[in-house]
Amino acid sequence: MKKQRLFILSGLIPALLLVLAFTYYPFLKGIIMAFQEYKLFDLRGVHFVGLDNFKAAFDDPKFLSALENSGYWVFFSLILQFLFGFSLALVLKKQFRGRGVYQGFVFYSWALSGFLIGMIWKWMFNSQIGVINDLLLQAGIIHERIGFLSDPKWAMISVIIANVWYGIAFFAIMLLAALQSVPSELYEAAVMDGANGFRRLWNVTLPYILPTIIATTLLRAIWIFNDPTIIYGLTNGGPAGSTHILSSLMLDRIIYAGDYGAASAIGIIMIVILLFYTIFFLSVTKAEKAGEF
Amino acid sequence: MNKRKKVLASLLCAVVTVGLLAGCSSKGNGDGGDKVTLRMIESLTSPKRTELIQAMITKFETANPNIKVEFISPPFDQADNKIRTMLGSDEQLDVLEVRDLNVAELVNNGYVEPLNAYADKWKDYASVSAVSKSVGTVSDKLYFVPNGLYERQMFYRSDWLKEAGLNPPTTWEELYETAKKLTDPAKNRFGFSFRGGAGSTGTTDAMILAYNGDKVNLEDSMFTKDGATVFSTPEAKAAMELYLKLYKDTSPPDSINWGFQEQVQAFTSGVTGILLQDPDVIQSLQEKMTEGTWATAPLVTGPTGKALFAAGGAGWGIASKSKHKEEAWKLIEFLSSPAENTAFSKDYGLIPIHTSATEDEFFKTGPYKTLIDMSNKPDTFVNFKPPFQYPGTGNWGQVAMESGQSLLLGKSTLEDTLGKWDDFWVIQKAELQK
Repeated sequence: MKKQRLFILSGLIPALLLVLAFTYYPFLKGIIMAFQEYKLFDLRGVHFVGLDNFKAAFDDPKFLSALENSGYWVFFSLILQFLFGFSLALVLKKQFRGRGVYQGFVFYSWALSGFLIGMIWKWMFNSQIGVINDLLLQAGIIHERIGFLSDPKWAMISVIIANVWYGIAFFAIMLLAALQSVPSELYEAAVMDGANGFRRLWNVTLPYILPTIIATTLLRAIWIFNDPTIIYGLTNGGPAGSTHILSSLMLDRIIYAGDYGAASAIGIIMIVILLFYTIFFLSVTKAEKAGEF
Repeated sequence: MNKRKKVLASLLCAVVTVGLLAGCSSKGNGDGGDKVTLRMIESLTSPKRTELIQAMITKFETANPNIKVEFISPPFDQADNKIRTMLGSDEQLDVLEVRDLNVAELVNNGYVEPLNAYADKWKDYASVSAVSKSVGTVSDKLYFVPNGLYERQMFYRSDWLKEAGLNPPTTWEELYETAKKLTDPAKNRFGFSFRGGAGSTGTTDAMILAYNGDKVNLEDSMFTKDGATVFSTPEAKAAMELYLKLYKDTSPPDSINWGFQEQVQAFTSGVTGILLQDPDVIQSLQEKMTEGTWATAPLVTGPTGKALFAAGGAGWGIASKSKHKEEAWKLIEFLSSPAENTAFSKDYGLIPIHTSATEDEFFKTGPYKTLIDMSNKPDTFVNFKPPFQYPGTGNWGQVAMESGQSLLLGKSTLEDTLGKWDDFWVIQKAELQK
């Protein structure tokens, strides 16, 4: 018995070492840096400054607007990604000619890197030479070019549109798999009972795949919250900082200011937010037994 | 689980663990015998440039069979971080590309070696231009030998100007008037290729310095000779008022977010008529635009008839922890020799570092000529030293860009914005003197 345990332990060592070195060490180091003045310009002058980095963050209007933007970013991206993804999954569930090829095309966006997506959409949104303005003008929908990325009214909407486009495929893939696992007998029985299309969706499909829906949306929310790549590639937080979310602001602090202390403080604040979210997540999934897949 | 499987699994684990641990250990020097291996890293990576440098290295290796050069080319976006990480973790690095932007940081952290002792013995050092020396120098010590200089000049659509019967502008005020005449939003045509996004300080700093003119302390260019910041003067205000007009009347609204790519693209695709850029865009203009539709002119001046300009650049330095400094210098000397550097500058679109190179026919004609003309009029085109010695210099672009955008959007006033910029540099000065 003891031998068995030893064997299991030794089998775990490589994975443990990896996790320790690449997850927990940076994590701890980040926590320490959040309480230090840690600037690339002066690495020999690193010292502890207590809560200064946190105070500076909350005094900074840019941080507060990034916090607010993070809320919009997660909420609208998630809802729209889910709705479009779910509709797409429902369509793809039906058999039709060329479904495989079509599926390959629509899932393709998921295989691209966020940064690349940012770059692609940046050119499409360009008000002078971008394709979106061009199409809208030619279709007669607008009469003046819109500065999608330069007008603060539009900029946040534009980055969310790009993010929605990116994330639809994820929900479509996950929900399609769940849909295909719904036993066809259930639908047959529902038809016998005289249920129409909507009733079948509402009373059979949805309850059956609810655990998957809950698990994917809750997880996806965390990813969206943490992912700065699209914003970094598209607007880099501009114009005038109006499209920064917390994670892109953190990157900004590192890349331009070389201020690891300030960046780590933002990181810690993000961790605290996610911690509350996780507690919520776990209690919901427990209630719905969503952890099954 | 049967015994054989168990043994196999254990073995596999052992191998993986050993592999992981081996990955952590530092790499040996790898210099077996008499052969020295130099590790060299570049920062401003681009495919064409990497190819050119690699070709020079191969030449160097042929001439010096006892030295091998291992050339590392990280992608541009991550290069500086990679260099920092390598230096910070004591990885072997001998020759590194230092930029004017980050040289102070590297010096401050003790990562790079002063090169004066080596340069004094170098026979070609005499012909290195004063500007090149000044770019690589921090507080009287040379830390890198530039591999070429970037210098701003004006590119304009000669066909548009001709059509409108206009001459290329020579002052900022004229530039505004000319650009305004060229602007016709209905035709999607704008006079000026504005850059409000990353790199916006290229315009704001240039205008404010040109307007301050003689007042500017050329050695400490964010300050006047009286010690106040250049942003606190009435001249700065006048400059920024024109800057606002340039954006509102002569530039596409979208340009508030434009960086290098968009700014150049707008010019090459026929949306904008005047572009202020460095010579590295010449090649893409030559490729994408019809000959005769564009031309170059010197930088525009401020009201007192002066244009302040700075040459920028990156170059080769030696890591202070390098064990092969002599060989590293030998490589730098080779790369920086008049023959190699001039050829490299021609191929990549830079100003060569040796004064002798300007004798070359290539730089006397065509788009480069303006730059030579400018350097022949040092009273009008005054060279200043950018404030790279300050710790916040890397952050300045970002701070000025964001507050500048907020000014352009009408979210903050001109006084507030200039006040913010003034504060930024007052604090920088205080921190430097600490």
